[in-house]
Amino acid sequence: MLVRIAWRNIWRNKTRSLVIITAVVVGLWGGIFADAFMQGMTEQQIFTTIHTETGHIQLNDSGFLLNHDIQLQVHNADSVVAALASIPGVQAVAASFQMSAMASTASSSAALLVNGITPKTAARVSDIASKLVQGDYFKSDRQNLVLIGQQLAEKLKVKLHARIVLTLQTTEGDIIYGAFRVEGIYKTHNSDFDKETVYVREKDLQNLIHFPGGAATVITVLLHRDKDTKGIADIAEQKFPSLQVQTWTELSPMLQLLSGTIRQMTVIFVAIILIALAFGIVNTMLMAVMERTREIGMLLSVGMKPSRVFGMILLETVFLSLTGAVIGVLISIATVYWFGKHGINLSIIAEGINALGYSSIVYPTLGAEFYGILALMVIFIAVIAGLFPARRAVRLKPAEAVRGE
Amino acid sequence: MSIIEVKALTKTYNETMVPVHALNGIDLAFQKGEFTAIVGPSGCGKTTLLNMIGGLDQPTSGKVMIDARDITVMPSGKLVDFRLHNIGFIFQSYNLIPVLTVKENVEFIMELQHTSRKDREERARYLLDEMGLRDKMNVRPKYLSGGQQQRVAVARALASKPIFVLADEPTANLDSKSADTLLEMMAELNRKEEMTFIFSTHDQRVMDKARRLVTLEDGKVISDQQTEKHYAQALH
Repeated sequence: MLVRIAWRNIWRNKTRSLVIITAVVVGLWGGIFADAFMQGMTEQQIFTTIHTETGHIQLNDSGFLLNHDIQLQVHNADSVVAALASIPGVQAVAASFQMSAMASTASSSAALLVNGITPKTAARVSDIASKLVQGDYFKSDRQNLVLIGQQLAEKLKVKLHARIVLTLQTTEGDIIYGAFRVEGIYKTHNSDFDKETVYVREKDLQNLIHFPGGAATVITVLLHRDKDTKGIADIAEQKFPSLQVQTWTELSPMLQLLSGTIRQMTVIFVAIILIALAFGIVNTMLMAVMERTREIGMLLSVGMKPSRVFGMILLETVFLSLTGAVIGVLISIATVYWFGKHGINLSIIAEGINALGYSSIVYPTLGAEFYGILALMVIFIAVIAGLFPARRAVRLKPAEAVRGE
Repeated sequence: MSIIEVKALTKTYNETMVPVHALNGIDLAFQKGEFTAIVGPSGCGKTTLLNMIGGLDQPTSGKVMIDARDITVMPSGKLVDFRLHNIGFIFQSYNLIPVLTVKENVEFIMELQHTSRKDREERARYLLDEMGLRDKMNVRPKYLSGGQQQRVAVARALASKPIFVLADEPTANLDSKSADTLLEMMAELNRKEEMTFIFSTHDQRVMDKARRLVTLEDGKVISDQQTEKHYAQALH
């Protein structure tokens, strides 16, 4: 009956209860949606970084990543690729020749990173082909074709099919120039990447800088599942102790930091909202207790234990908060699902958020476990919020309270 | 043997500042089946005395013995339990639980006593029947008149099968017809079940029904008399 009384009590003053329930609903929805938005942005960034730029795991000769020294090669690249491809959980493996270079046109120049790839194999570990906004992905058989980022194209003031000159260093240490025709222009969500990365055919690069056949500077591994990254990296390390094995979290430490802190930030963000709401709940429950002084006095007079009165007020607070929480979460699930499917188009501020490495269309997402954490947080906050009014109720003196004094 | 004994009871408020002696050495005893009205002018100590007998307040000195147990020295947890099982309360403002139906209000105390559902329902039906509220069992108190609500409060007070019932100005908020009906029903319960009732009242109708009148003034008993009605009944 205590549960029945507590539930009915929250509907005694419908307007007041609805106001606080609405506050909980709006507060939670705002918090959850903002978190889903942040989570969505981050997950998209991680996904794009892995599937466009780094893969899940990269293997290099030790020290290569420090200054992209082309002398630090993986000589038996084909056998390494084959061995890695045989590890369960690996989706694709590709070898490439990555090196620093300078691009120049008649009007401008830029430092960049050249990726010498085998287009068909590289397409298995990188979706750069799908990011093309102009031109094709090495469709033509012509030599010395290059894919460049839109930002770089703007900087160099070149258009599709224009020529750029790449200044490279041969394996012998000589400087060499190569004229490349812009075959395609791509655009990712990361403007820095677009400014600094170009793709050429590996064989074109080999002709210019004379690196040995079968060698590579980067072996990129793409996995079926993100969560297998650490395990498969460990296996790769055991198989190739002389190579440096790095996961995407090591290759993009900022992303790892972001990924690691986003959940904590999410929980803290919602906790702050809930704490603010708790004051509203305390106020509502205090008013309810003060209005019901006579009734609580009667309950204490006739022999209801103070602990049960305390429990009844706490229960009312939990019911009040949970009602708002359930509605808030359901609305949040619906809106996160809908926007997660259709996306939120932020193209109006695309330049700014692309510069930060985020996509201009955000698909909010939130893990199911977060809703469980949220439920526990709401109950916890409700109990805390109910303590003061409940204490106030049991401290009433029955003889005075029953007369409404 | 007395079921209630009040011995040298005093209650002083504001002991450290300007002391107010609400009760000033009360000695009283109540037998089973009494129908007693405690009367006197406002501020004479009627409600304070009822609160002491009901264990709702602590005296400054003296004893309240109920069934040979001194409730003034009972630990608060035990006192709550004692009230639940031994004392019925009727308040001036009815103080029903508005979110429960009439029947649920009556069952509520029995549920606190952990009475079985079957027994609760049976007794609630019986008491509401006695109070003439059988057809109102499933409505909420706000749909009842003041007199009907106070009858529900009487049923609730009796539901726990108490040793006695304390009623603080039970007719103060009622019109004369409702007050008469209520008093008649309580008098009937007193006769039929030998239920002990102690009222504090200003109401002449209650005094007329009472078989014992205790008059207080300035926290002292200035008269304690059996009414003629009582003698007539005793003789009968």
